[in-house]
Amino acid sequence: MGAPVKTAVNKAFFEIDGKRSEALEGSYLLPALRAAGVQVPTLCDHKDLTPYGVCRLCVVEVEVRGKRKLVTSCNYPVRGELKVFTASEAALKHRRMVAEMYLGRWPNVPVVQEAAKACGVTTSRFQSELTEEDPKACILCGHCVRACKEFALEKVLHFAGRGVRRHLTMPFGEVDKTCIGCTSCAHVCPTGALSIVDALNNPADPDKIRKAGMRVNAEMATLDGRQFRMRQLGTANIVDVMDKYDLLPVNNFRFGSHPDTHKIGAETLRKKYFTQGMADACWYGCSMACAKTIDGFELKTGPYKGHKVCVDGPEYETCGAVATMGCFDGDFVAEFNFYCDTYGVDTISAGTTTGFVMEAFEAGVITKKHTGGLELRFGAKAEALELLHQMARGEGFGVDVGQGIRWLKDKWVKEYGADAKFLQDIGMEAKGLEFSEYVSKESLAQQAGYGLAIKGPQHDEAWLIFMDMVNNQLPTFEKKAEALYYFPLWRTWFGLMGLCKIVWNDIVPSDNHLEGEPAKIPGHVRNYLQYFEGMTGIPLDDAKMLDQSARVYNLQRILCRMLGKGDRLNDRIPYRAMGPVTNEEYESRAERYDKQLKEQVQVDPAGKGTAEKVRLLRAYREEQYEKVTDAAYQRRGWTKNGVPTIARLKELGIALPELVKIVEPDQE
Amino acid sequence: MIATLLDLDSISAKVRDEQKKYKAMLMVCTGTGCVSAKGFDIRDSLKAEIRARGLEKDYLVVGTGCNGFCAVGPIVVVQPEGVFYQKVGAADVKAIVQDHLIGKKVVAKLLYKDPVSGKSHEKMTDIPFFSKQQLVALRNKGLIDPEDVEHYIARGGYQALRRLLKENQPERIVEDVILSGLRGRGGGGFPTGVKWKAGRKAALERGEPVYVVCNADEGDPGAFMDRSIIETDPHSVLEGMLIGAFAVGAREGFVYIRKEYPLALVRLEKALTDARAHNLLGQDILGTKFSFDVKIHRGAGAFVCGESSALMASMSGQAGEPRAKYVHNVEFGYRDKPTILNNVETWANLPPIFEKGPKWFASLGTNDPKLAPPDPWAGSSGTKVFSLVGDIRNTGLVEVPMGITLREIIEDVGGGVPDGKKFKAVQTGGPSGGCIPASLLDMKVDFDSLTEAGSMMGSGGMIVMDEDTCMVDVARYFVHFLVDESCGKCAPCREGLHALDRTLTRICAGEGKEDDLKLLEDLASTVNAASLCQLGGTAGNPVLSTLRWFREEYEEHIRHKKCRAHVCKPLLRFDIVDACTGCTLCAKNCPTKAIAGERKALHRIDQAKCIQCGVCADVCKFDAVTVRTGG
Repeated sequence: MGAPVKTAVNKAFFEIDGKRSEALEGSYLLPALRAAGVQVPTLCDHKDLTPYGVCRLCVVEVEVRGKRKLVTSCNYPVRGELKVFTASEAALKHRRMVAEMYLGRWPNVPVVQEAAKACGVTTSRFQSELTEEDPKACILCGHCVRACKEFALEKVLHFAGRGVRRHLTMPFGEVDKTCIGCTSCAHVCPTGALSIVDALNNPADPDKIRKAGMRVNAEMATLDGRQFRMRQLGTANIVDVMDKYDLLPVNNFRFGSHPDTHKIGAETLRKKYFTQGMADACWYGCSMACAKTIDGFELKTGPYKGHKVCVDGPEYETCGAVATMGCFDGDFVAEFNFYCDTYGVDTISAGTTTGFVMEAFEAGVITKKHTGGLELRFGAKAEALELLHQMARGEGFGVDVGQGIRWLKDKWVKEYGADAKFLQDIGMEAKGLEFSEYVSKESLAQQAGYGLAIKGPQHDEAWLIFMDMVNNQLPTFEKKAEALYYFPLWRTWFGLMGLCKIVWNDIVPSDNHLEGEPAKIPGHVRNYLQYFEGMTGIPLDDAKMLDQSARVYNLQRILCRMLGKGDRLNDRIPYRAMGPVTNEEYESRAERYDKQLKEQVQVDPAGKGTAEKVRLLRAYREEQYEKVTDAAYQRRGWTKNGVPTIARLKELGIALPELVKIVEPDQE
Repeated sequence: MIATLLDLDSISAKVRDEQKKYKAMLMVCTGTGCVSAKGFDIRDSLKAEIRARGLEKDYLVVGTGCNGFCAVGPIVVVQPEGVFYQKVGAADVKAIVQDHLIGKKVVAKLLYKDPVSGKSHEKMTDIPFFSKQQLVALRNKGLIDPEDVEHYIARGGYQALRRLLKENQPERIVEDVILSGLRGRGGGGFPTGVKWKAGRKAALERGEPVYVVCNADEGDPGAFMDRSIIETDPHSVLEGMLIGAFAVGAREGFVYIRKEYPLALVRLEKALTDARAHNLLGQDILGTKFSFDVKIHRGAGAFVCGESSALMASMSGQAGEPRAKYVHNVEFGYRDKPTILNNVETWANLPPIFEKGPKWFASLGTNDPKLAPPDPWAGSSGTKVFSLVGDIRNTGLVEVPMGITLREIIEDVGGGVPDGKKFKAVQTGGPSGGCIPASLLDMKVDFDSLTEAGSMMGSGGMIVMDEDTCMVDVARYFVHFLVDESCGKCAPCREGLHALDRTLTRICAGEGKEDDLKLLEDLASTVNAASLCQLGGTAGNPVLSTLRWFREEYEEHIRHKKCRAHVCKPLLRFDIVDACTGCTLCAKNCPTKAIAGERKALHRIDQAKCIQCGVCADVCKFDAVTVRTGG
C-alpha cells in the first residue's frame, strides 16, 4: 500500500534540531535523521521495505508553515521548508508511552526491550491478559507481510482480525499452497516469530543461498522501479533504449531507429497490452517476475481468427524482430508473438528471415512471382502474417522461407541468378542461424560477440551491446577482447547451472559503480558463486568458475569444429552486421560515418562519392573485425583459425586423445 | 430517454399536471424507522382502502423517504394541506379514508399532541419539531417518492446540473463551491471546494483520470443521516456527484455504502438505473460531451472503512486499513489516482447551492458575511443534518442551520428530555466525539465551536443523555466500541485503547486507583496524538471530554466508590428496609438466591451473594428495597 511519492529530483533543505540538513525532495525523513546522526527508535522500519508507519515510535515534531505537528519520520516525505524537532517534549512523551504499551504486551522480546530502553522505558503498567511472555512473539511489525508482497510479489501472509485480535495468518488460516517457501518473511522477521522448518532440496548451506537471494529481493523491491522496471515492463523495457541509441534492427538491420518505435515500445505495451505483472513468471516465486502476458487478445488472422487468446510476452527480442520487418504496430507484435509460440517457431528466426525476404523483395531479387503473390515490402503486416501461416502450414512461399536465410540465399543464387555478394551482405545469419535483434554496426565487441558465438549469432553468449554502446564500459580494444573472453564463459557457466541470467545484470546493486570492473557486476557474480557454494558445499571463486566453464566451452568449440563450423571462416558475419552495405544506409547516418572516416580511417571524405566512402569504411571495419578476432582467439587460447590449442586443453585438463585428434590439424 | 436539454421541463410539467388531478396525496413515510413500524403495510392498506372505495382517481398514496420524526412513526401526511398523522396503525387506515378523505374531518386521535403544552397540532408546520428546521439537504423529504426520478425532476431536480453543463465552465463550479463555504459533512469539515480544486489540479497536471467517491459508510452508533438521505432523496446525492464529476473532470464515480443499509441500497440502485435510462448517467449526458457513471461498492460494515484511505483500500479489494495521509487522497487516492471523496450529505447539498447560488448558501449558518471572498476555513455555511437520539422526546432526523444553539436543538426541536429527568450531556461526533455538559447548552453548533468544546461535528450523530447516565460508563462504552472497531494496524490505537478500556472497566468496577486519572489522560492524549488515522486520532476524545467536563464523577468512582447515576453495579448496595411486608416476591426473583426471610417477615440481602442486578428493587411493590452508592 502507500501512495507513491513523486520521483525525487530536487533537493530539499531543512533543519534537524536547528542544524541545516538536506535530502532529496520526496524522500522520507527517517534516513535523513539517521544521516544527521539522530537515533530514532523504531520497530516497523526495515531498510529494504516500504515504510509502514505503524509502531509510531519514530515520531518527531515537524514545523511546516509555522504549524507544529507530530509525524512518523519513517514515512513522512521531505518537502519544502521544514523544521524537525526530534527530541521535543511531545515526541519524547508519546514515544515513551507507546514504548510502554509495547513492553506491556511483549515484555521479553529483545527488539522491544531495546526500543523501549532507547525511549527510557524499562517497566510497563500495561501488562494484561494480552501480554505474551514468549521472547520470540510476533510484534505485528508487518515486515513479513511486506516482504511477501514486495520481495516475492505474493500475498501469502497478511494480518487478520481487528484491533487487539490482529494476528498474522495465511488466507483462511490454512497453509497457503501458493507459498513456495522463499523464506523472505523469516529473513526479515525481527523477533524470530517466523522460522524456517524445512530446507528444500537439501542444500549444503541453505543460509548462504538465502542471503544471496535476499540481496536480490531487496534490490528488486527498492531499485528496480528506478532502474530497468523489469517488474513492470519485462525485457521490453529496452525497446525504447535501443531505438534511442540507434541499435534497433529496423528494416532488416539497415537502420537503428524509427519514428514509430513508440508504437511497439514498453510504455505502449504496459498501458495498452500487458494485463499481468505478478509472479506468474517462468520461474514461480522469482522476485523479478519479468515475464509479461497479454490476456484476452483477439486474433485477426490465421486458424484462431476471432478467438480471444493469452499472449505470453512480448519480450524485447520479439519487438526487435517486428522492427526488422518494419511493422510498427502493437497488435501486430501480439499476433506475431502468439502465432510463433503456437506454431513452435522462434520469433527471432522468423522475424529476421522475413526482414531479409522483404529487403530482397524491395531490391527486386525476388518478385511476386516467387512469393506466390505476396507483396512483401517492409511494414506489410498482413503479408508477413500470411507468410508465417504458410510456413506453419507448409504451403506456398512459406515452405522456402521456413528453411531460413542460408538456404534462401543458396537457392536464389542458384535458381534465380541473384547477386551472391549482395545476399551475403544483407542476409543476417551466421553458421546458419539468424541474428538476434541488435544492430551491431557501431559495436565491434558485439560484432565479434555475434560472430564468435559457438551456436551462431544469438546473444546469450556475448550480449555486449548494452555495456559497449549504452554504458560505454568497453572503450579500448583490450577491454573488448577481455569481454569476449570473460562473458561467454560466465554466461555459459550459469547456463550450465540452470540459473537465469536476468538477475545478474537486469538489476544492478546501488554500489556497483564502486566496483573495479562494473561491467561484470561483480556483486551479482558473487551471488551466483554463493548459490553454487550453498548448494554443493564446494567453495568457488571467479577463477575456478571460469575454469569450470572453459572446459565445457572448449569442448563445445571442438564439437563445432568437428561439424565443420568452428573455425575462422565460419566466425565471419555478414557486412550488414558491421557497417552500411548500401549507399542509402550510409547516407542515412552520413555525418557519423564521415566523421569516422576522418578520425579513424584518416581519409578525408570531402568530395568523395557515397559508393567510394562505403568501400573505404568497409575495408577499415573488416580489418578491425579481423583484429578483434585475433585478439579474442589469443585470449581464449585458440589458434589463429579459432581452434583450441592443445596447450589450452592440457591447462584445462581436457586434452583427451579423441579431442586432440580433432584439433591437431589446426595447430600452428 | 431525455434527448435534449429541454425535456427536463416537460417531465416536470407532466408530473405536476398529474399531481394536480388529485384532490389530495397521502404521503406515507417509508424510511427505515417507519418501515420497522410497518410503514409499508400502512401504505399498502391505504392504497387498498382507497381502491376499494373507487377513489383512486382522487387520491394518490405515495411512499416517501424518512420524514424525520421517527419517534412518532408510522407517519401519514395529507398534502397539500399538510395534516400530520402520527403512530398510524392498521386499524386507523379506515378512519383516515372515511373521516378525512370522505368526511373532510381531521382524525383527532391521530394528531400529534405536544407533550409539554398538551395541545394538538393539526398541521405539520405547526409542530415545533419541524418549525425550527431549515431544509437544504433534506428539502424533498416527505414530498417525493424516492424511487421515482420524475418526482425529483418535478421538484426542480437536475436543473442545476443542466444549467452547469450548458454553461460549461467547470473551473467556475469549483470556485463557486469554495465561495459557498461548504465544508465536508462527514465530520472533518474540510472545505469541499478546496478539495475539488486540488483534485482537479492533480489530475490535469498528471494527465490522469480523477474519481469522485461518495462516502456512505456511516458507522457511528445512533447515526442515520446518510442512510436517511439516500432513502429519502437518492437523486439529490447523484446530482451532487454529477456536478462534482463535471467540475473536476471525472468519468467514473463510486458510492461506498455499507451492506447493513438494504433499503438505501435498493433505492440507490433504482436511482442509478433510472438515471441511466434518462441519460442522466452514461455517455453524453443530457446531449452534452460529458460522460460519467457511478458504481456501487458495498462495505462489510467495518467502522474504520469510513476513514478515507481505509475506504479506498477496501474499494481496491484490500483489507480496510488506513495508510498515512502525508500524501493526500486528492493526489493519490483510489487506484493511486486523484480522488475526491465526499460524504452523502455534502453531495446532497450541492444541487441547492447551484439552484439558489453559492451566496445564498453562505448566508445560512455562521459564515462571516464581511469576508469577501470568504476564508474557506472560517465559519460554517449552510445547514447540518443531525440524528437526534437518546434520552430525548423527539427522536429523529433534523436539519438545522449552522450556528443554532444546542439548547434550541435539544429543547425546541427535540422536545427536551422526557419523564421529568434532568439533562446531563449531549454526545456529538460519534464514538470519537465528546460529551458536552449542560453548562454549554447555549453554545453555537458549528465545526469550530464543537471542536473547541473538546468534541466535534462528526457526521451528525447527537446522543442526548439524562441524569441517569454515568459519564464514566459512557466513556467506557465508547472506548469499548472503538477497541472493537480499531483495525489494529498501529500500536497506540490498538494497545492504547485496550489499556483505556481496562482502566475504565476497573474504575466502573470500583477498583479505580488515585493515579488512574493521570494514566487515562496520558493514554488518551497519546492515542490521539500518535495514532495513524483519524479513528485513532480522535479515539481518546470520549475519555478526555468526560474528564474535562465530568471529572467529579471519575473522582467519586475512584475515591468514594460512588456512581451517582446508579449505573455501575459493583458500586451499588441493595438493602431491604422496614417497609418490607415479607411478600417473598424479591426472594423468588433473585437470580442468585441472595435474599432470605420468612413469609410476612422482614427479608435480608446477603451482600456476599448479591450481584447488584436490581431485580429486587424492580419487583418490590412496597418500595422496600433501597439502593445506596458511595459507602
